[in-house]
Amino acid sequence: MTDAGLVLEGVSAAYRDTRVLHRLDLEVHRGELLVVLGPSGAGKSTLLRLVAGLHPVDEGRVLIQGRDVTGLRPGRRNVSMVFQSYALFPHLTALDNITFGLEVRDVSRAAARDRARAAAASVGCAHLLDRRPGQLSGGERQRVALARALVREPDLFLFDEPLSNLDPELRVETRGELKALHARLGVTSVHVTHDQTEALVLADRIAVLRDGRLEQLGTPDEIWRTPATVFVARFVGSPAMNLVPAGGPIVPSGLPEPCAGDHLLGFRPEAVRLTTAAAEPESFPLPAFDAAGTVERVDVVGEDAYAYIQVSDHVLTARVPATARPAPGDPVGVGVRWADVHVFDAGSGRRVPAP
Amino acid sequence: MLAPYVLGLVVLVLGPFVITLALAFTDYDLIRPPEWTGTGNFAELADDPIFRTALVNSLVFAAIAVPLRLLIALGLALLLHRRAVAAGPARTAAVLPAAVPEIAYGLLWLWLLNPLHGPINQVLTMGGQNGLTVLGRTPPLWLTDPVDARAAIILMSLFTIGETFIILLAARRALPRDVYELAALEDATGWDVLRRITLPLIAPVLGLLLVRDVIQSLHFSFVPALVVTDGGPPPYATTYIPLFAYRTAFEYLRYGYAAAATLVMLLLTVAAVAVQWRLLRRYRRFHDR
Repeated sequence: MTDAGLVLEGVSAAYRDTRVLHRLDLEVHRGELLVVLGPSGAGKSTLLRLVAGLHPVDEGRVLIQGRDVTGLRPGRRNVSMVFQSYALFPHLTALDNITFGLEVRDVSRAAARDRARAAAASVGCAHLLDRRPGQLSGGERQRVALARALVREPDLFLFDEPLSNLDPELRVETRGELKALHARLGVTSVHVTHDQTEALVLADRIAVLRDGRLEQLGTPDEIWRTPATVFVARFVGSPAMNLVPAGGPIVPSGLPEPCAGDHLLGFRPEAVRLTTAAAEPESFPLPAFDAAGTVERVDVVGEDAYAYIQVSDHVLTARVPATARPAPGDPVGVGVRWADVHVFDAGSGRRVPAP
Repeated sequence: MLAPYVLGLVVLVLGPFVITLALAFTDYDLIRPPEWTGTGNFAELADDPIFRTALVNSLVFAAIAVPLRLLIALGLALLLHRRAVAAGPARTAAVLPAAVPEIAYGLLWLWLLNPLHGPINQVLTMGGQNGLTVLGRTPPLWLTDPVDARAAIILMSLFTIGETFIILLAARRALPRDVYELAALEDATGWDVLRRITLPLIAPVLGLLLVRDVIQSLHFSFVPALVVTDGGPPPYATTYIPLFAYRTAFEYLRYGYAAAATLVMLLLTVAAVAVQWRLLRRYRRFHDR
């Protein structure tokens, strides 16, 4: 017995004639919730489908709890999947949908119904069991799909963007419930999404996928604080991280030594400190600030405001409190602390350890 | 905009229907003016052994051919809906017989069914001796034995399922793919998938095709009976109501009598469709609950 709930060893897969996964290695610990994050076309769904056995593996091996399932048909892998569309049977009631997997495995009807009721109760859809999918709302369908996935007590849960069809409010609520459910059941889970917030909230670890290759595998904190590549840095975080060439328009305060020109400096909008002429009119721009710029546009999102600032030929994004926001056209001073700066190699896009 | 359609409907459908309805209560031979006889034609039909034979033949034909046709079309559609090697040519082959003109199709079967030289009996007698099958039995006398001839007419109807096949193929392809993937994850067997998923989901289409085929079953017995078996072998083994009406009207010039026979068939069809329609509605109500 190994500690791994799911292992992918050098797995490649193609869709039609296009290769969508390139010798991917990935290990998911037992009981862990791994979120696979990436833009559309990154191969996330293909990854999920080949773990489920719905997509052929061209090379490599798939192991679930130490068992090589590469050659097994989907039904023999003991995995449950929640589809993006939920894939409920339209002609069956919620109860019959949940018991389907048990009944085709010859569990007696009475026993199957008892287990289905328990599963439905644990995801809060016990009151919907007599209805058909056509009479359920999106959120209710999702609960039924969840109950169906967990009624069989699988070795592995697969979630294919299960929250993407819900409206935003329900998505936040269901996200919390999914996390609680995973904490309670402790079953190894792989959750695919393109929503970075969902990934950061849900995941024990996040695997960032890009063009069929693993960009970074790490805890949400690691992904957020030490992005391994420019791609991860820009993809996670909204608005995206600012990225300027070293020695370019802005020189962070406390920079230990001048960085060479083939590096990129990244810093999140939260790390940008602004000062306006209105706030400190006497000595503007302050020498403490690293660059001077002009506010191009300001987006207010409730308490926060995002200011887009033209600094020489770059546009930087800064997050400021909505109450202290500058007006478009204002001259501002822009500063960044060296501690908030990520350094990347301009050629490879990889993170350079801080000097 | 509807005017041309309404005109066509009145001239080509409603008009003849009303005339047939009226003629059914008369004697009319195309030469003398129609003569009102009240229900005389129907009383005569009830006592006419040929009509009774034709009626029973038609009902038996519909009862056997319609379900078989649906079953074969469904089987082919479920086999051939996937992308697979030679699935395309196989689909074409399944549709093709329906594209052959009816008379040509009948003449083709006249050759296929020839008891001595036809390829069907040649295959059946393969390996046997003295013109018998391997099991030592006489091969079917397709065109001369009453039972075999009826079987031959049904056999002929089983290959013209192109339209039904295409509709079922489209219906099967319209079913959501993820539902089948889910079934695969649950390790459902092919039988479970057919019984619990495909059939229930495709049932409304099957129901409509059943109604349609029952209505049409009267038509597709006509040409084979006329061209291949000529209503025989005696005693009127393959005389179906359309052929009976055709003979009565155009050979014996008894238009009123033929109209009455047609009317009886129409009423039977309406009754059959009404029963099926009610069953379908009950099924649907049960499922929309």
